[in-house]
Amino acid sequence: MKIFRHLTTSLVTFCALVAGGAFVFAVAVTFAVSLFRDVEISAWNVAASQIGPWFLLFIGVYAIHNMLPIAVAHGRTRREFLVAASVFSVVLAVLMTAVEWLGFLVEGGIYSLMDWRADEHAAQPAYFLMYLVWFAVGMLCAAAFDRYGPGGVFVLPVAFALVVVTRVQMPGAGNLPFVQDIPVLLGPGWTAALAASFAVALAGTWAIARDMPIRTRSV
Amino acid sequence: MRVDVQGLTVRYGDVTAVDDMSFSLQGNKIYGLLGRNGSGKTSLMSALAGYRRPVGSVQLDGAPVFENAAALRQVCLVRHSAHAADKGDKVSYVLEYGAAWRDTWDNGYALELVELFKIPLGTKVGELSLGQRSALGVVIGLASRSPLTMLDESHLGMDTPTRYAFYDTLLHDFMEHPRTIIISTHLIEELSSLLEEVLIIDAGRLVLQEEADVLRSRGTEVTGNASDVDEFTAGLTVLSSRSLGRTKAAMVYGALADDQLVRARQLGLELGPIALQDLFVHLTEPVGGKR
Repeated sequence: MKIFRHLTTSLVTFCALVAGGAFVFAVAVTFAVSLFRDVEISAWNVAASQIGPWFLLFIGVYAIHNMLPIAVAHGRTRREFLVAASVFSVVLAVLMTAVEWLGFLVEGGIYSLMDWRADEHAAQPAYFLMYLVWFAVGMLCAAAFDRYGPGGVFVLPVAFALVVVTRVQMPGAGNLPFVQDIPVLLGPGWTAALAASFAVALAGTWAIARDMPIRTRSV
Repeated sequence: MRVDVQGLTVRYGDVTAVDDMSFSLQGNKIYGLLGRNGSGKTSLMSALAGYRRPVGSVQLDGAPVFENAAALRQVCLVRHSAHAADKGDKVSYVLEYGAAWRDTWDNGYALELVELFKIPLGTKVGELSLGQRSALGVVIGLASRSPLTMLDESHLGMDTPTRYAFYDTLLHDFMEHPRTIIISTHLIEELSSLLEEVLIIDAGRLVLQEEADVLRSRGTEVTGNASDVDEFTAGLTVLSSRSLGRTKAAMVYGALADDQLVRARQLGLELGPIALQDLFVHLTEPVGGKR
């Protein structure tokens, strides 16, 4: 519980601040662009669907690479940390989805006021599951590279497959080379596919990190 | 806290850092873990702290340490401050980690030590000098008040006055809160007066485990007129010697027989305890083909 509380108080605040800053930046960029041409897309959608997942992936890497060794150094087991990080991933995904929803709400108001046009964006569950999977994949990659060094590269194809699934519900991202119209192919089973991706990423992280040696680095 | 190690082996690929090591520590003492570079000290401590799954057995008070929440709560291993803190974290934040995650953490004592070692609370760990980072590691180790506290060369980056302050602090804290403390160091003579028991390891194997006083009695420092010292030590194992004018001091390994003691008195030689460091060098480096 202590680890979960610590992850929540430190990282949730940090992530909320970063997301808030990203929103202000997106609005500022939109206003700047409006000086030269018509606004036709949602800047916040770019941030939420393109940059957001990478940020969540980074936080996942940070959790395993930086915080797991600190937890063990302070007398906590890997299992305790992984339980806390797994629950935290859901909390963080919920928070980031809430920020994403709030961002679209405020941006929608601004766009209406300025008579700008925005492209369509995905439904909230798609963002939630995307953030969840990318965070878990970040943990998976960090665990693989921390444990196996350069050998961690072998987890990258799996990681890629897991995150690609999350893109299918993002407008304009439903096509892959040789595989067209993935949303249609998956049908209503897309939520199950994303949930399975999350489960695979989490299971992989557990399998790798459960026995992972903590390196005694000197500064 | 009692520590039992049985058949412990740590390997990194083809390299065997700890080779089938077995020993027991009764606990509530300050132990010195001595060994040359690459002898396996850090690997041994890592296994004791549950940093890696042991091949063999590592038990604390009879319970295995690896991934055992109850046992791990009792352990703190510090090597500088690197793995107990993030370089990007401020010092104050590092102390918050300790307070948040360690049941035994004494935050008042941590703040006292931070002031003693003049570590700025608002500075990031990565921006501290090597000495300050070392001191921060010591703060984490001592303030954790863990029943098994291990300091892996954590004080080596400190300057001499700070190291002496650390030795005083360590002894004072140990007297007030007795626990099992294991210190690995190269500065053997500086620390030797604090050590109650010594483990010497070499090439991943335990060479010796002995009470520090018993270990010192394994040799004698012979001081006197240079020619008399040379005469007296002829045929004995001399670990080292130094001369000042006509006076010479020689470190002799092995107990002296009664007739040798009488001869020393006749020659007017002074006999004293041997330096731990000389014994360590002798035990970890073959001298004249003997170890």
